[in-house]
Amino acid sequence: MRVLVVHAHPNPDSYNAALFRRTVEGLRASGHEVDACDLHEEDFQPVLTRAERVGYHAIPANRTPVEAHVQRLEQAEALVLVYPVWNFGLPAILKGYFDRVFLPGVSFKLVGGRVQPNLRHIRKLMVVTSYGGPRWRAFLMGDPPRKYATRVLRALIKPTASTDYLAHYDMNRSTDATRAAFMGRLDKALAGF
Amino acid sequence: MRVLLVHTHPCDESFNAALRDGAMSALAEAGHETRLLDLYAMGFDPVLSAQGRRDYHTPGENETGVEDHLGHLRWCEALIFIYPTWWYGPPAMLKGWLDRVWIPHATFRMPEPNRPIGRVLTNIRLIGAISTLGSPKWWWWIMGAPGRRTLLTGLSVLCAPRCKTFWMGLHQMDSQDQASRTDFLARVKHKLRHLA
Repeated sequence: MRVLVVHAHPNPDSYNAALFRRTVEGLRASGHEVDACDLHEEDFQPVLTRAERVGYHAIPANRTPVEAHVQRLEQAEALVLVYPVWNFGLPAILKGYFDRVFLPGVSFKLVGGRVQPNLRHIRKLMVVTSYGGPRWRAFLMGDPPRKYATRVLRALIKPTASTDYLAHYDMNRSTDATRAAFMGRLDKALAGF
Repeated sequence: MRVLLVHTHPCDESFNAALRDGAMSALAEAGHETRLLDLYAMGFDPVLSAQGRRDYHTPGENETGVEDHLGHLRWCEALIFIYPTWWYGPPAMLKGWLDRVWIPHATFRMPEPNRPIGRVLTNIRLIGAISTLGSPKWWWWIMGAPGRRTLLTGLSVLCAPRCKTFWMGLHQMDSQDQASRTDFLARVKHKLRHLA
């Protein structure tokens, strides 16, 4: 499968960056064609500009500022996101990836005023993430980043697509053992990708 | 009340900017002290850098570059956001303001083995979010209203113990007519004139 892996952590020495590398290596080892997109490394600019807002609905000119990212997304058969949860949301650089790249005519179409999903070529979605807080706390908050992946993104891709949501909760109190166990979980998920 | 208004929209001729101006005047009319952070206008950089991430847990050092923003947060009693909901959440610009300004020690105490995360900004007793959304209301709820949870629920647990929240959303923005926008603006101004 052609897999687009999008990563959003600024520190290459972080645990999250290690999860990203492991994901890319694991997928390649199982024979997948991987497009590894490290948003920080690529110096992605996440702020939707005034010009982009004004031209937001002009298809296909709206994709010009992010043409390369649109093409990478359109070629993907699977989408994998590797990022930390910050303040119960996505890091700004990843939120901006959706703001700028998931455009009308790209990820959705407006037909008669109704939104229609347009990423039906993506038949697998995987999220690999880490939360500072414990799972019960995220649950009480309604776990917005989990809903973002399993509902918002899920609604845009192929209806029968499988979705894996792998989260290491309570990172603030994590140990070598919990981090290693989570790597093991990731390896297993990648092997069955 | 001392009110900090955080506004996020790239276009000054937008309805969102009209909401900002209407909100500022309504708050002033009601005798509130106000401060405005217009994130696009001030060219705020929403990306937490590698160095920023390395310093994230170091008290003092993690405040580098956002000292003024923290000063505003310590000053205010009410925090109000006006922004468009994009992809079910705040624009990257506003999310990055949370990432960079809502940092440990200054805005919350880190959890420890036997102690949960702790409140610091107990001066903030009201958080409001006013947003325009493309989606219909029912679909927004099926998606789980993630942006509302991140801003209202996520931040209120770090503020005063009985911190109140309010949410005002104008849905299906792409097909709203002038009358419904005018009506929403009037409701926003009414709400802000009667803040308690």
